[in-house]
Amino acid sequence: MRQLFCFVLLSWISFASLLPPAFAAAADYHEQLVLRPLPLSALLASFNFRSNTSLSEFEAHNFRFFPRSLGQILQHAGTQELHLRFSLGRWDSEAWGARPWGGAREGGTGVELWAWLQAATDEEADHKWLTLTNALSGLFCASLNFIDGTRTTRPVMSFQPEGDHLNTTAADTHLLYGVLPHEVVCTENLTPFLKLLPCKGKAGIATLLDGHKLFDASWQSMAIDVKPVCPVGGECVLQIELTIDMVLDIDRSKRPRDNPIPRPPPGHELPCNTSKPYHSHDTCFPTDHQANQDWTLSQIFGRTMKGTCPLTDPTVPPVCLQVPDSRSVYHSDGVLEKKNLDRVSRCFEIKPDVDFEIVLPAPEDESAILVKPETPLLYAERSFTGHGQERGGVQTILRNPSPDTEVEFIYMESLPWFMRIYLHTMSARIQGHTTKDKSLIKEVYYRPAVDRARGTQLEVRMRVPPASTVFLTYDFEKSILRYTEYPPDANRGFDVAAAVITILSPAAYNLRTTSLLCSLPTPDFSMPYNVIIFTSTAIALAFGGMFNILVRRFVAADEGPEVGLAVLKKRIKERVGVLVQKFKGKGQKAEDKMVEVGRMVENPGVGEQT
Amino acid sequence: MPPNITTTLNTARARTYVFRLPLFTRVVIIAIVGFWIAGLQSVVDVREWGALIPDEMGITTLYRMNTFPFIHLNVLHAVMNIFALTPLMERFEGEYGTLNCLALFFGPLTTIPALLYVGVEKFVFGGNVAVMGASMWVFLLLAVEAIKTYKVNPRFVIGTYSIPTWTTPIGLLFAMAVLVPSSSFLGHAAGLVVGYGAGLGYVKFLAPPEKILRWIEGKLNLLGRLPHYVSIDQKTYGRFGVLPSANGASAASPGVSLGLVGSTQRLASALALRRDPRILKIPPYLSLLCILVGAVWLFLLPLNEYSRRTYISENALLPGQVHTYFGGSDQNVFRAYKKEVNELVGKGNVEINDKLESIVKALGLKTARQNFTYSAAGRTFAGENLYAILQAPRGDATEAIVLVAAWENVRHEVNRNGVPLVLTLARYFKRWSLWSKDIIILLSPDSIAGPQAWVDAYHDAHDSSKVASLPIKSGALQGAIAIDYVQEQRFKSVHIVYDGVNGQLPNLDLINSVVNIAGGQMGMGVALQEMWHHNDKYPDRLRTMLRGMLKQGLGLASGPHSSFIPYHVDAVTLQPFGEGWQDEMAMGRVVEGTFRSLNNLLEHLHQSFFFYLLMHRERFVSIGTYLPSAMLVAANFTIMAIFLWMKSGQPDAPAESTDKTPTPTVERDLFLPLAVVTLSGSLSAIPLYIFNHVPESALTPLFLLFLIINTLLPIAISLLSTHLFPSSPPTLQQYHLIKSFSLLLLGMFLSSLATLNFSLAMLIGMLSAPLSFVGPSSSLVSRIAGFALLNFTSPPAVLLASAAVWGLNVGDVLREAAVAWHVTGTYSAVVVWCVWWPAWLAGCVCVLGRTEDKGGKVKEA
Repeated sequence: MRQLFCFVLLSWISFASLLPPAFAAAADYHEQLVLRPLPLSALLASFNFRSNTSLSEFEAHNFRFFPRSLGQILQHAGTQELHLRFSLGRWDSEAWGARPWGGAREGGTGVELWAWLQAATDEEADHKWLTLTNALSGLFCASLNFIDGTRTTRPVMSFQPEGDHLNTTAADTHLLYGVLPHEVVCTENLTPFLKLLPCKGKAGIATLLDGHKLFDASWQSMAIDVKPVCPVGGECVLQIELTIDMVLDIDRSKRPRDNPIPRPPPGHELPCNTSKPYHSHDTCFPTDHQANQDWTLSQIFGRTMKGTCPLTDPTVPPVCLQVPDSRSVYHSDGVLEKKNLDRVSRCFEIKPDVDFEIVLPAPEDESAILVKPETPLLYAERSFTGHGQERGGVQTILRNPSPDTEVEFIYMESLPWFMRIYLHTMSARIQGHTTKDKSLIKEVYYRPAVDRARGTQLEVRMRVPPASTVFLTYDFEKSILRYTEYPPDANRGFDVAAAVITILSPAAYNLRTTSLLCSLPTPDFSMPYNVIIFTSTAIALAFGGMFNILVRRFVAADEGPEVGLAVLKKRIKERVGVLVQKFKGKGQKAEDKMVEVGRMVENPGVGEQT
Repeated sequence: MPPNITTTLNTARARTYVFRLPLFTRVVIIAIVGFWIAGLQSVVDVREWGALIPDEMGITTLYRMNTFPFIHLNVLHAVMNIFALTPLMERFEGEYGTLNCLALFFGPLTTIPALLYVGVEKFVFGGNVAVMGASMWVFLLLAVEAIKTYKVNPRFVIGTYSIPTWTTPIGLLFAMAVLVPSSSFLGHAAGLVVGYGAGLGYVKFLAPPEKILRWIEGKLNLLGRLPHYVSIDQKTYGRFGVLPSANGASAASPGVSLGLVGSTQRLASALALRRDPRILKIPPYLSLLCILVGAVWLFLLPLNEYSRRTYISENALLPGQVHTYFGGSDQNVFRAYKKEVNELVGKGNVEINDKLESIVKALGLKTARQNFTYSAAGRTFAGENLYAILQAPRGDATEAIVLVAAWENVRHEVNRNGVPLVLTLARYFKRWSLWSKDIIILLSPDSIAGPQAWVDAYHDAHDSSKVASLPIKSGALQGAIAIDYVQEQRFKSVHIVYDGVNGQLPNLDLINSVVNIAGGQMGMGVALQEMWHHNDKYPDRLRTMLRGMLKQGLGLASGPHSSFIPYHVDAVTLQPFGEGWQDEMAMGRVVEGTFRSLNNLLEHLHQSFFFYLLMHRERFVSIGTYLPSAMLVAANFTIMAIFLWMKSGQPDAPAESTDKTPTPTVERDLFLPLAVVTLSGSLSAIPLYIFNHVPESALTPLFLLFLIINTLLPIAISLLSTHLFPSSPPTLQQYHLIKSFSLLLLGMFLSSLATLNFSLAMLIGMLSAPLSFVGPSSSLVSRIAGFALLNFTSPPAVLLASAAVWGLNVGDVLREAAVAWHVTGTYSAVVVWCVWWPAWLAGCVCVLGRTEDKGGKVKEA
């Protein structure tokens, strides 16, 4: 509860002013799109869809706004709280500032899933986790079923439940966290996502969600959060929040879909710095990096918004735009523009059956194009050090931009088992100092890897002093995989999941580093295959057959001077004998054996002579 | 001892087996060999004369039906067939008798398959494929044997399948048809069919009547007259009637006991051969042969037969498969950037970086700078790298490709077009969203130190006192392209510079991609190794290859790309040259196409394409083909070292060579040889240190001083060793041991170096080849001649001579070497001073060795 308040208060101020309190109604639905132009001709679009259903209705299988398919999975797997993230690209915090939602609605590259499961034992939790991942895998067309024991960890410090869990104790609630850094998020994940919405993609802001645009974004994150919310004095509700954040490149998005190739524009359309002395018709110092702040909704998303979803809460404005009030914005008829008190945002109230369109003309006043991005609490960048196939190191650069506030956070890594870290080499030092500073790391939780069974889990509670940069480094050794453990097709290496940084003070804020690519020693699979298989075949067929025939001594059974009548006589005798024995029946077998023994006795005689 | 017994038995058995081969088999083998030898000359085409050619068959050419089994395509064919045929034929002859064999194999068993083959080939298939070789007989006999086996042992079981034994030759037939090129399936099949017939007894009626044969045999007394003749009568006993194994075994067992004391037995004779003084005459010739073959081998490589056409091994690259769109109004931008760059020429490094950074930052790239300071040869190489990261729009920062433009190229010319081109390309690349890898733009102040500092720091392999760490980084580097575009007028072709530090090379696929894109897609020429005109004939190919080898051997950095290669990042530098009609935009499109190819890479380039010699843009030699030449040259030293070791163990007087008892090994006096070799090895640290740590101005005088000392040093050591122990001056044996140890070390180092830097090993190997052949001598003239020869091939003399040949100043050469040692970590100096020079020094000491009193010494011993 306290945390929820915290979240609402500390998420950036515009949102706080816009969002109604989370515990507004017991069973309601609302959706909102927030557009925020960012520097370098980027545009952040945050889609948020939230629906509540009371726990009693949920348990009675009475779904209204809550998607039934997901609800059944959650019930089956005993999930109390679920967080699922699909992310692609990088958030450029240098240019774009603090992350939307305080970083709480995003994951590292790929797919991330964490959930609180109700189970009596660890084994039961693992079993339920398996059920959950497999079911979600089917629902979202993602390889979530590959989150096995080696990719699952149980964080102890990093994640705290967001919802209000009243009726459970800590003992029977298990937090499991799994991550698939290599998973490529694409349109097949968006379609099931849209199906969870009450209006699907047919009306409201969801009509703007187009796979082509979403996956051409510089950064995008799809999040699903399910948590119980218990307002004071009210009935507990289960809240599902679907969030899509994307940063679109305005320049790229404005290209027509049938001609997406960024051909050079005609020379006369090129925006030039005419103040340069050499400027002429064929020489142009470009200034286009500052331009492209004029756009329309249909240019960016390829279509206009088709009215509003009839199920949505009419008190929440469906679209908000965060530009300074001084900037003029045009909109289509039947839309009511409301400027907010903070002077940097405005919202639009749209009638249900009106096509919505806004137009931002090129700004006249250069200084008032954008709302200045907020500085994030911490910058983090992680990279590999060293080279070669045997060992390496990881270096995370953590920079605190604040001049006076210390940042305390938990740094969590879940590493694959084939990266064996040397914990004793882990050290943190402040830039400019050559010796490591022991006071930076306050607490370490480390769960070592077990080969082929479990990955490394490392959680470090540490601090970064104001206006300083801390280098957190550790070394690791690369294991050699069995050759069947390599992926069967061409691969660029093994992805290492993003590190999760959860800031505890001065405010709650989450961020993730980029993922890493760990290249393990890879044998040239085709070469031994060709050599071994081909030579073995050649030897087995040609040499083996030939050698066998050449070396073996063949002794003909009929060798010797048996020619003429005697042979004929013997054959006739044999035939008759066979006929006689057929009548006699079982006596035959014993005699056969006798004959064989006789032969075996004969052969050694021959062998002795050689 | 047991292994010895078995080997004795086996050799004895093999020997007796060969000696016991019956007559007809021998004749057949001799005939096959004879026909092969006859086929070596080119006057009469024996193969054409004797082969079984369906269309040539007529009354007068019926002889072909009998001659074709004796004639073979080549040696391999003949040898294979002899090996296959001998045991089968021997068995058959042992069973049926020589005369029978003669009659059958010159009669039905050859003509029937031949007729069968001709009939089927000509009338069924309508073909005219000539066949030759005894393999038809092999299959025939195999079929006969298989039928015999079948009668005893009808089937064998593999798993749950039971297979009739008579089918094995059929399996073999198919295996041969698949595995052996140009084998005649039909010919073999014809043999097989007749063989089966013979085995089942259907061709028995064709055999000559036994009575007549017996009569002939008796009348002519063949058994008595012909050696190894197998009588017809023997067949009644089978071939086991004359088993010689009892004989062989009894002969072999005394052989073991006698072998060790040097009897006439086989092993013993081999042992005796080892002691034979004549065998010790071979190694010098052998090692000379090694050197000659190694050298000739190298010159054969440019021929079509030994080199291969290049090909793209990594199919994911897809070079030249995309449209390139760089051009149009980008040229306007390029012109503006070029104006900006031209204004910066002559300004300070930081000022240049300030301006360039403002341009790059305006494009929306992340920029950072890095300081570095190297000092070498009394100079300081300091500067500031500027780099920018274009983050792949949808990427995950796990991989990156690098585009390098150094402000100055290796010849210190300002990269007037390269830098603006890279800036324009960065702006152009930013518009695309298809990048799967980040693109890093590196603008370094110079071509060697700057990129080296940057790459070292990127991989955290830098010395932080000289080179600053990188503030921002991206993912694993997958490739790098450097642009060295100084030329102002329009260009014709692109010159690809690919030599890395220490002779390491980028993956050939990268070069092939550039060749494919520039040469194929853009229609511009591609040159390698400064061969501005290349007609793809032998001399030009050889020249390209030798230039490449020389550069590889020197191991110096040849451009901004060189520093990347040791980190397994494939990189090349592209230099436009010549006068043509290609403009900057065409160059940009080449880079665009190459980057699109690299962008396609799913995995790091990893094919075994890192060891090659390029001789034309589309011809190369792979390591398997060229490596033996350097290995042979290195092997010559090892051979000589072993030879000298053995020689040092022998008494000097070969007078009593008539005595058959082996002479005991002489005790070797190891102290002095080991001391000399150790001393020369440890002395090598001195020139290595001096030439790498002395200021530039002192290099030339020091070198001249060293040249004099270098000449005097062997004399001094020689005199010292003689006068330090006046009672016992060094003996011939000790000189041999000095030489043996130093050559052993040299051979060992060079053969391992050949796998790392083939060209360096080859160069050093050829230059130190005289060391194998000069040695102590009793005559003063030969000593002086040998010493003079060695002085002409000494490391400093070679350095001086090569500097003179290329018109360089020795001081500059030494300075470059020192810079390379400190900045790029080139190890060529280590090889020269610590591998070659000690071996040379030890060789000189040996040459100066006085051995006139050796006779007296030996007698004392």
